Amino acid sequence: MLFPTITFAVFFLLVFVGNWLLMPRPRLWKPFMLVVSLFFYGWWDWRFVLLLALSAVANQFFALLVERTSSRTGRKWALAGAVAANLAVLGWFKYYGFFVTSVADLLDTFGLNADLPLLRIVLPVGISFLTFRVLSYVIDVYRGRLRTSSLLDFAVYVSFFPYIAAGPIARASEFLPQLTAPRDPRRVDTARAFFLIFAGLFKKMLLADYLATHIVNGVFTTPGQYSSLEVLLGIVGYSVQIYCDFSAYADIAIGISLLLGFDLPDNFNAPYTAVSVQDFWRRWHMTLSNWLRDYLYIPLGGNRKGRSRTYVNLMITMVLGGLWHGAGWPFVFWGFLYGGALIVEHARVDRRKDRAARRRGGLDELARMTAVHGLAEGEAGTASPVLPPAAAGPPALEYDRRPWRGRVWPRVGVFAFVTFAWVFFRSDTFGAALSVLARLFQSWGSIGAAVTPGVLLAIAVGIGMQYVPRPVWQRGEAGLSALNPVLQGLVLAVGFMLLDILGPVGPAAFIYFGF
Amino acid sequence: MADERDRDEPLPYGRRRRTAASALVAILVALALGALFNAPAMKKTALELPFGGERSFRLALVDPLAVVSHWLFLDRPARLTAALLGRPDPGPGDVPAVVVVTPKPKPSRSGKPKHGDKEKPLPKPFKGHPMHLYIAGDSMMGLPGMALVNLSNRTKLIKPLLDYHISSGLCRPDFFNWPAQLQRQAKAFDAGAAAVMFGANDNQAVQTPSGKVYQFETGGWKKEYRRRVSDAIQILFDQGVRRIYWIGQPIMPEATFNRQMKVLNDIYRSEIEKHPGVQYIDAYGLLSNGSGGYSQYLPDSDGEMQKVREADGEHLTYAGGLRIAEAVIAAVKKEWFTKKPKPEAGEASPPPGETTTPAP
Repeated sequence: MLFPTITFAVFFLLVFVGNWLLMPRPRLWKPFMLVVSLFFYGWWDWRFVLLLALSAVANQFFALLVERTSSRTGRKWALAGAVAANLAVLGWFKYYGFFVTSVADLLDTFGLNADLPLLRIVLPVGISFLTFRVLSYVIDVYRGRLRTSSLLDFAVYVSFFPYIAAGPIARASEFLPQLTAPRDPRRVDTARAFFLIFAGLFKKMLLADYLATHIVNGVFTTPGQYSSLEVLLGIVGYSVQIYCDFSAYADIAIGISLLLGFDLPDNFNAPYTAVSVQDFWRRWHMTLSNWLRDYLYIPLGGNRKGRSRTYVNLMITMVLGGLWHGAGWPFVFWGFLYGGALIVEHARVDRRKDRAARRRGGLDELARMTAVHGLAEGEAGTASPVLPPAAAGPPALEYDRRPWRGRVWPRVGVFAFVTFAWVFFRSDTFGAALSVLARLFQSWGSIGAAVTPGVLLAIAVGIGMQYVPRPVWQRGEAGLSALNPVLQGLVLAVGFMLLDILGPVGPAAFIYFGF
Repeated sequence: MADERDRDEPLPYGRRRRTAASALVAILVALALGALFNAPAMKKTALELPFGGERSFRLALVDPLAVVSHWLFLDRPARLTAALLGRPDPGPGDVPAVVVVTPKPKPSRSGKPKHGDKEKPLPKPFKGHPMHLYIAGDSMMGLPGMALVNLSNRTKLIKPLLDYHISSGLCRPDFFNWPAQLQRQAKAFDAGAAAVMFGANDNQAVQTPSGKVYQFETGGWKKEYRRRVSDAIQILFDQGVRRIYWIGQPIMPEATFNRQMKVLNDIYRSEIEKHPGVQYIDAYGLLSNGSGGYSQYLPDSDGEMQKVREADGEHLTYAGGLRIAEAVIAAVKKEWFTKKPKPEAGEASPPPGETTTPAP
């Protein structure tokens, strides 16, 4: 069931009423929310519901096993079992074809012709998100940060329909506590919810889908048909499209959850204003970045095991992050690009840190010698002009922690890098990506018919809106909240009408449904 | 945003929280007014559904809404805004669910119409005078069409035009009027050849010129659908197209849908036999595995396994589309690029440098 449809509007209206009527009675509310969430998910394919149910039961079993096992080794094995089981399910649905074709190609390289079985496997919507959600639960229980909940609570967490298809990746530790007490029906953040839902529909219908159909799809499939300027705009257009598409889903999911009384974590924070690649990942798909940091990068050792190991950990995290997005070598390469970029940025900052340490080492030595010299000359009691009092301990090293200096060029550079990397993300094969990139240099003679005011405007709006300061949006939300409910409804109705007129015919699926 | 999550903390800029009841009022007003504002568009969507129970049910709901919207002048803002913004009117179009084409009489020397002028030698394309290949169809033609565009460009002797429309077909001209589109585009593009692929959305009822609705696969349906296939071919020939490459439907994963596609393929094949100048491209065979069954992966020309179907199992990936595109290009090259026996006087292909149009 897609958000921007009448079917969903009717579904949500019924769920909204049921939600608040049953909220004071958790024994009724929880089964109700579970059933409607399963109905929502089953709308795609009823078989997915079985997978969801199995995942909830299996992971609850592992979590209980982790919690009730007293020995450390036993707990570790239970956790390993949970991770292996979840990754096996993900691997089967998402990576089976990729694995088999890669093995077959590899064997073919050595002259071995293997007739490996290739099956048609239907990829359940949002399975990667589901895997990360349930793993966060078992791992947090293992770490002692969370106690196991009831199976019903956990099932509601696993299947909560607003985020089930494409995130945000709300962790169990963020969501389950909200189930412990009924939400307060007198304090619903309606204005922010309406604002987010409308903003999401605007970004999806008017920007993402427009760019997809008017330039991006064509450029990435038949680059030879387009001039270099069109290809450049197509590539930049994809940067805008994927942001508008994915952040739209997150906005709508967060808005819908707010209307039901639940808070979900933010997933985007103006990513194309990032001044470094590190900064980009603090702003783009934040719940995934945080998940990878807490459940992969830090367990690998993070930055605690020396520089070389830090760089290796960064690369492993980003390559696996790339593979999480899709089963294909271009995704792996996309992750590799980010791993490389993060290593370069860390190395720059590390070098500055070394210089600062050397400087301080020299100054420390100077101060020590001055102090010794002074004492020798009988100037006891004179405080060192460089060293602080010994009781204060060594001060933190002072150095520029920004990978790139300046305000404008780092932003331009990071956007260019991110946009370049998206080419591999969007393309089915390396060959297709290279064809698109090569076309950038082959046909600068003409402008091309795809360079239209509409495309330029959509790109400008998609990027420009990220530079609008957050307080401006917050004032808008506050203004909407000041209206009475009827006027709020009227504003939304006019907005829906404009979206319907200006938007494409029929809703398109969100890009991240496939991840 | 931690402050916003804490329900006891004030929200930024004095944003107010409301009760769930006031949220319900706002939602109801938004949906009710939104439905009235958008009633014409909703009616259009309902009309475009396949003939049957769901369509009747939706129309029963939407029709009164559209009437009320019209009485209250609430349909005007959408229509006016669309007109001001240069967008199509949101309401139902005026194309009926059936279009009858009157073939343009084109008598040959013998007095009989000549389909595709098969016997007339084709003008050989040359540099600066490419053959114009019009590529048309529904969403199934999307990636095969794009692959065909790429392969055509590579020859430098074929100028392609891809024209595909999602959810369209020959059954419902009221949703998308292919007869009019084929006529318009083939003429404007001065197409020498056309590659078309329809059918994936045609497993639904059709309405005959007499107004009778026939369900899929019935005798009346087959008769009407044959007429539409024949009309599409005739329209293209009437616009000067010399050759048509009619691409059949590929094998499908789901048994019922696959059987339906076979029914369509049988109709295409038998209609094509009646029309010289039309060649059938057997996508079903091209997308089947070695044992004639369905597979999501097939080996490419280098023997490497490629995913040929999208996640839905039906639509083709670029690699899948390429298999069809290669077959079409091979057929085009065979007919248009190979040397023909010496043509009759006055029918010769233009020599290089001559500026005559290659299309007839």
